[in-house]
Formats: sequence, C-alpha cells, structure tokens
Amino acid sequence: MFEKILFATTGSPECDSAARVAFDMARQYGSQLTLFHVLGIPGKGDSNVVIDIRSGEEVDVDAEYIEGVAEELRTTYAKQLEALPGVTIEVGVGVPSREVLRMARTKDVDMIVLCGPAEGQQAGFYKRGVVGDTLRKVAKAARCPVLTVSRPSASFWGGFSNIVFATDFSKASESAFQFAKTVVQAVDGELHLFHCVDLSRFQSPIALTQDGIEAKLAEARRRLHHEYATQLGDFKRFTSEVWEGTPYVEIVKFARERQADLIVLAHHARDVDPDERPFGSTLEQVIVRASCPVVSVNRPDKLPQAAEA
Amino acid sequence: MPEGIFCNKKPINTEAELKALLSDTRGTKYYEEMLSLEVDREKLWATIQKTCKSRTQTWLDVCARCGLCADSCFLYLVNDCKPEQVPSYKIQSTLGEMVRRKGDVDNAFMRHAMEVAWSQCTCCNRCAMYCPHGIDMGVMMGYTRGLLYSQGFVPWELKIGAGMHRVYRAQMDVTTEDWVETCEWMAEEQQDDWPGLEIPVDKEDADIMYTCNAREPKHYPEDLAEAAILFHIAGENWTVPSEGWEQTSLSMFAGDWEACKLQVENVYAAIDRLKPKRVIGTECGHAHRATVIEGPYWAGRPDGQPPAPYIHYVQWVAEALRTGKLKIDPAKRIKQTVTYQDSCNYIRNWGLAETAREILTYLVEPGYLVEMTPNKEHNYCCGGGGGFNGIGKFRPQRNKALLTKRDQILATGAKLVIAPCHNCWDAIRDLEEEYHIHIDWSFLKPLLLKMVIIPDHLKPQDEEGDEE
Amino acid sequence: MYAFLTGPMLWLSFAICILGCAWRVYKYVKGLNWQLDRVAYGKYPDLAFKGAMKSIFHWLIPFASCSWRAKPVFAAAFFLLHIGLVIVPLFLYAHIMIVAERFGVSWPAMPDGLADILTILSILAGVFILLRRFALSEVRIITTRQDIMIMAISLAPLVTGFVAAHQSGDGNGWLLAHIITGEIWLIAVPFTKLSHAVLFFCSRAQIGIDFGVKRGGQRGSGIVW
Repeated sequence: MFEKILFATTGSPECDSAARVAFDMARQYGSQLTLFHVLGIPGKGDSNVVIDIRSGEEVDVDAEYIEGVAEELRTTYAKQLEALPGVTIEVGVGVPSREVLRMARTKDVDMIVLCGPAEGQQAGFYKRGVVGDTLRKVAKAARCPVLTVSRPSASFWGGFSNIVFATDFSKASESAFQFAKTVVQAVDGELHLFHCVDLSRFQSPIALTQDGIEAKLAEARRRLHHEYATQLGDFKRFTSEVWEGTPYVEIVKFARERQADLIVLAHHARDVDPDERPFGSTLEQVIVRASCPVVSVNRPDKLPQAAEA
Repeated sequence: MPEGIFCNKKPINTEAELKALLSDTRGTKYYEEMLSLEVDREKLWATIQKTCKSRTQTWLDVCARCGLCADSCFLYLVNDCKPEQVPSYKIQSTLGEMVRRKGDVDNAFMRHAMEVAWSQCTCCNRCAMYCPHGIDMGVMMGYTRGLLYSQGFVPWELKIGAGMHRVYRAQMDVTTEDWVETCEWMAEEQQDDWPGLEIPVDKEDADIMYTCNAREPKHYPEDLAEAAILFHIAGENWTVPSEGWEQTSLSMFAGDWEACKLQVENVYAAIDRLKPKRVIGTECGHAHRATVIEGPYWAGRPDGQPPAPYIHYVQWVAEALRTGKLKIDPAKRIKQTVTYQDSCNYIRNWGLAETAREILTYLVEPGYLVEMTPNKEHNYCCGGGGGFNGIGKFRPQRNKALLTKRDQILATGAKLVIAPCHNCWDAIRDLEEEYHIHIDWSFLKPLLLKMVIIPDHLKPQDEEGDEE
Repeated sequence: MYAFLTGPMLWLSFAICILGCAWRVYKYVKGLNWQLDRVAYGKYPDLAFKGAMKSIFHWLIPFASCSWRAKPVFAAAFFLLHIGLVIVPLFLYAHIMIVAERFGVSWPAMPDGLADILTILSILAGVFILLRRFALSEVRIITTRQDIMIMAISLAPLVTGFVAAHQSGDGNGWLLAHIITGEIWLIAVPFTKLSHAVLFFCSRAQIGIDFGVKRGGQRGSGIVW
C-alpha cells in the first residue's frame, strides 16, 4: 500500500514513537523505508557550519561528520534495522521542512512520517519567521500523505483498524477521504466519518441560537452522507457523526471515544497564515493532542492504490 | 614548500579540486600551508605595475593623513576606536606598503594583509563619502584583495566560493538540472493555491528575465516561489534562464576577477539568448553590485551597462506598487515599529535610497517607520558585507562587527527589520542569534505576500465548506 | 643674492610649480582607465560633469559636505589654513605691488589688517592641525615624516612673511627667508603631497564621476556628499 516511506528523524528520543510507527508500517506493508536526518541550514552566513543536534554546538559539515551522523542513526535504530533489512539512511543539509519535501520529491515517496512538533524546535535554531514549523510546512506542501506521531502514548499496534476521518468539506478533504477509504478497506477496519461545526466561526447571535446550530448540524450530517458515505459502496463498517464546538478539541475527543488508531484529515487550506493563529492550525493541535498517529492528506497525487494492498 | 596542496596560487577549476578543498574542514590544512606559501614578488610587482594606475596611485600618494575617515568606518568605531582600524592606515599598511616596496613583501606581510583585507573592511565604501580627497578605501581594498588572491592569500571559504563560480557558474553546487527542477518543483507546489502559476524557463522575448542567488534554489526555494507568485499577481510576462540565472559573485569578494568575468558573462549570455525587455534581480545587494554595477566592466562593456536594463528587486516592487500592479490592503499594513536596512551595494552604491522609501510608504502604516541613524547613503554596513559573513577564520571579528547594527536597530526600537539583501538578512539573523535582541527580519517578498490584494480571478476556485 | 632669488629663481620656481602641476594633471588623466577603474568616464558627459562639479563643490565650500559638518573644528582649521596659504598671498598688497611693478598688471588687494589676521589664523590653524596629528591616536598612526615636513614647508612662508612685514629695522634677513621658503614651497608643490593643489580637483572629480555615472547618479538625487 505504501511502497516508499520517508521517515524524517533527528534520532532523538522524541522521535521514538514515530520511529516505532514508521518501522512497523514498513514491515507491515513491505515498504521501502528511508531514514532521513536534516542537519539544519548551514548557518552563520555562507559558511559550512551547522548546529549539532545533540551537543548544541557548531560543527562543520564535512563527509566525516555526515558519516558520523548516519552512524549514530544506525546505532539508535540498531534493533529495528536488524529486523528490517534494506533501509536507506540519508543525511541532508538545509532547512528541515524544505529538505524533507525535496527528499520526498526526489524519492517519489508515498508517505512521509514525521515526529511531533517538538522536533525541529531545538536550540532556538529553527526560529519563527526564519524556518517556521517543519511540520506545518511539510504538511501543507507535501504531495503525499504525511503521518505524524507526537505523543509517546500514541502507538501503533500491528496495523490500523479504527480510523477517524475528520473533514471540513474542503477539496483537500476529498483526497484525505480517498486515503482513509483505501486504507480502511485494505485493512478491513472501521471508519468513522466526522465533522465538527466550528462555533467560533459564527459571529452573529442568530447563527448561534440552538436552532441555528442544529440546522448546521443537520446540514453537515447530510453532507457527510452525501459526499462520503455514498462513496463507500459495499463497505458498511462505518459510522458518521457531527459535533459542534472547537474542531481540534472535538476531533481529539471523538477519536478517543472511538479508540481510533489513526486520524486522517486535510491540512486545512484556510489556515493560510499560521502566524495569525496563536494556537496553530487544527491539524497541529490535533497532532499535539491526539494519542494516535495523525495523517494529513491534501492532494490526490500519491494516494495508496487499493489493488496493491 | 612554496605551494601547498590546498593553499596555492592556482584557482580552482574542476569539481575534483573543489571537493578536495572542501574536504579540508575549516581550511585547517589550507591555513597551515599558507604559513609557508611563497610570495612571487616579481609577478606581484608586475601585476601592480600593470593595474595600479593613476587613480589608485594618486589615492595612495595624496592621502593627507587627516584621519577624517576614521569615524566614517563602522569597524573603527565598533572596535573601540583602535587606531589600526583607521581606513587610511588599513590601506596604507597593506596596499600602500606593497606598492612602495615594489612588491618586495614576505609571507607574514601577505597574511597580515589578508586579515586586514577581509576582516577589517567590508568594502562598504562609506569612507569614500567622508574623505576630502574622495579616496575610496573600499575600492582600493577590493583591488588589494585581487592582488592577494593572485598570490594565493585568500580565506578558505572564498577560494571555494570563487571555485564554485568557476565550476558551476553559481556560488553553490547548484547545476542547471537542479535549478530547472527547482523551478518545476516550486511551480508545482504552488499550483493548488495559485492555479495557472508558472515559472517559465527560457522563454524568449519576455518582459522580464529574473535572476537570483544560488542560496535560494539551494536552501530557500520558497523565495523563488514567492517571486513567482508576485509576478503572477502583477500579471508580468516573465521568465528565468536555465543557464545564467545566478546573479551573485563570491568571486568578487575573493578578488578573483577572472571568475567574476566568467560568472557575469554567463548571465549576459542568457540576456543575449532570451532577449528580455529587462532583467530583474532578487533581493540581494552584492549580486546587484556584481552583475549590474561592476559586471559590465569585467565583461568589457565600455558603456558600463549590462546588455539589457537590469534593475534591483526594490525597483520592480516600487514600480509595481506605484502603477497598481500590486495593490496593498491598507488594513494589512505593518503596524509595529519597523526599520529599514539600507544595503551598501544598491543604496550607497546605486542610489536606491528613495526607491526603498517609496515602497515603505505603501507597506508601513504612517508613523511606524523609524529610520536608523545614520541611514540611506550614509548607513553603516550590516556588519557582514564583502564576504565577512562567510569566513570562519574571522567569525569573532564579524560577530564584533555586528554590534554596530545591533545598536542601531535597538536605538530605533523596531521589532521588525526589512532587509532586502541576502547579506544583510544573514547578518541580522546572526546578530539575533548572537545577541538575542528579539527582533524579526524579513525580505520584501514575504511581507508583500501577506499584504497584497489578490485579484479575484487568481484565487483558487475551491468548493470549500463554510465551516471547518 | 636678492636679485637672483627674486629674478631667475623666482621664475624657475613658478615654472617648476606650474609645469609640474600641469604634468601631474596630465599624468593623472592619462592614467585613468575605464576598465581598470570600472568607471565609464567618457560615456555620459552630462552625468560626469554634474557628478564632478557636485563632488568638488561640496568639499570646496566650508561645511557643505557631511564630513565637514561632522568635524566642524577641524573643518574650520582646514579652511583657515588654506585661506592663508592660497587666498591671502594672492590678494596681499605687497605681492600685488611687485607684480604691478614688473608687469603693470594689478588687481584689488585686501586690507593689510585683514591679511594679518588671516595669516595669524592660518598659522594657528596649521599649528592646531599639527598638534592634532599627535594628540589624536587615529591621526597619529597614519602620520608620516612627510606630513610634518609639508606642514613646515607650508607654514614657513607664512611665518617669515608675517615677520618680514612687521619687523622694524633693516630686516633683509626675514624677507630673504620669506622668499626662499616661498620658493621652496612652490617647487615642492608638484613633487610632494602638496600636489593635491591640483590633484584634489582630479581626485574629487574622479570620485564624483564614479558616483555620478556608475554608482547612483542616474537615479534619485544621486550621492549626498
């Protein structure tokens, strides 16, 4: 289902949960896994210096150092690598989000696995306004699904089976749905279609009357059925639900309630200017809070092919 | 050992040589070898005789030693007014001595001269404005760098930088394929948000040919995407060349005039090939200096002009705002204290001070712009110009030099510094990292994209729900 | 002796000074190279002329350049010194008389009192500049013996001339000294840094053209000196 997986990692403990998912998935689906570590932009003007992620000190990027970093990754993931031969290790230099996207494009991967937001915020080196958030940028621009695991409790036990698909009815959500559909059919799991009516978007008191809200809920239910459920054909193991509130809160609550092991959603296109959103986008908030892996899908380009599953 | 393996008088001309030199981390061996690099005195004197003509000779001779240049030099001021930092002293004790001794100088002299030429002068040319005789010590230091380079006395990174231009015609190892691929990638990445957006490569007879800094495709390709989006919004008929897209010249910093010529001729060849009405360069100061101001002379163009009108990005922005090609949403104008970093290379040395100010009237809510003191043509260098940013050996000196800009910025109380120049941008980022004064800094492109009004027909036709 | 010094020697001194200066200017202009200097000297005559004039003007007029305004005391001393060295001798009654006697041409002279004051100020300015050389570390480090010599050569005719004009008694000595130092000064002009008497204009014009045609003169208000 996922022929090529790119796992972007710093090799630090924050990436352990993501590593587990990445290796498990690769084994499960027979994927070709690439471990990729980005050394950060050569800072300090034009020179060849980067900040070492472990020591926090300036080091020179040369062949020796790159080999050292690769070796460290090999040591960190020794057990997993032993169990899964054929894993490629790559070390890149540059802005992490950019290099992950570049590598994903070069290798034409089907899935990017990222560590949670904690990654990429070390040493004050990746600064707001300079690099921005690796996760946000990768999730927005990637052609393929991006899977993120941030919380240590977020685990992946032998495959996905209980999948929550949260939609905002955007065009990107359609791709996310296709992804969720393919995966759930391939693993023969259960799919939960979900939408949250965002109350914070309603300014007028009329819209906020209970009648107003309920009308919205009914409309959303209709759309869930019309736009997604009808596409599921013979597949019957799905539920659909519409709640109201703040989307990320409700998505996380819903996923917990359904004991989801995967949340699928689109990187919301409306969140174009992350700087103006003090709490980050819905996607980011879900990633930070969810206790299972979260997949963001924006584009139809690299959706898994059901036939290959 | 007259010539080292790494440190020698031979420029780098092949990828293999380049990689070999790069493998010498921080130039450790390179600088070791430099200790015993022999000076070819005859060649040095012959070069001086051939190239040190009346202008430079007069500058050296006529200097009244009045010391008025001292206070004009930010490096003198920031280094606690050390007399050795007086511009006149710096040039007289290096180039002046070389000429007076008819090239009869030793290794230690050359190494000292190298330190002066690359760590005590950023070639910002500010002293030229304060000397009663109009002596431009920045220009002379540039000339001195050329002499030093020809003898192999050049900082490691700049030998590599010049080599990059010789091998790749770019300051970094970005090949034509890499570049074209990056253009495709960026166009593709923006397609959802900007339907119909293109980055046309090698389109002939376009209105605009765009050139940039290799750091952009290499590390910040979104800068290229931003340029494309802005051209798209403005409805420009533009293109980028597949060859000759790199506008910068580390060889200029290195004093490798031959590489400078090769580099700039590459860009001019693209202009001749694609015949654009005009060329626009990215937000980079030294790239403009190298390709537009000095380049025509390296390429031997007697009129001192590139083959087509060649303007700096701020000129295009000012024009687009003036003519309404780009319209700013007044509600989104900058409403925090902001200041502008005047780049020496296109403000002092190309007269764009007022053009930059014109842009600011559109972008900044009245009352929020606080100018640095001094500013415009008289502004101080960011602290990292002339290659200073990139030289590891002189990093402590560079960090000290950043204090000038830090204090200038602090005095304005600005939280945002608009710095449409890669070198300035880098220097300000580094000074924030070094001294933590809690400021943001930005090129123009991302600011414009936040504020520009997007015409309806360019918006993506996304059938999106009205809720999230 | 007197006849020789005021006759052939004076002629010779003037000839050396004028021809020497002309030679310096000729050599300067001939040595300009558009490609090495990276200035298209001849291509934009209007801009070049404007740039050169602007560059000279702002520095010839007291306090008309940023640099002069930044250092008002030094600028004042500088202009006082040069007034004493250039303007006063040209408009001194005694000098004009000599020219009138020999060539029959004359021009208005400045009052002796004013000349005295300007001369004294000029000498004081010269001394001040000399002292400044030693007092300020940034000037001390670039000072050479030539700089002190030149100041001595320049101040000597002023001092001797002033004393010669004001001494009582027979005083041929001071007058002779004045003539000798004056002639030394004239001869020194083309061969020393005093050549800036003409090269100042060359150098200023050059940088003016540089900024005028190449570095911004075509845009905005051009360079602000």
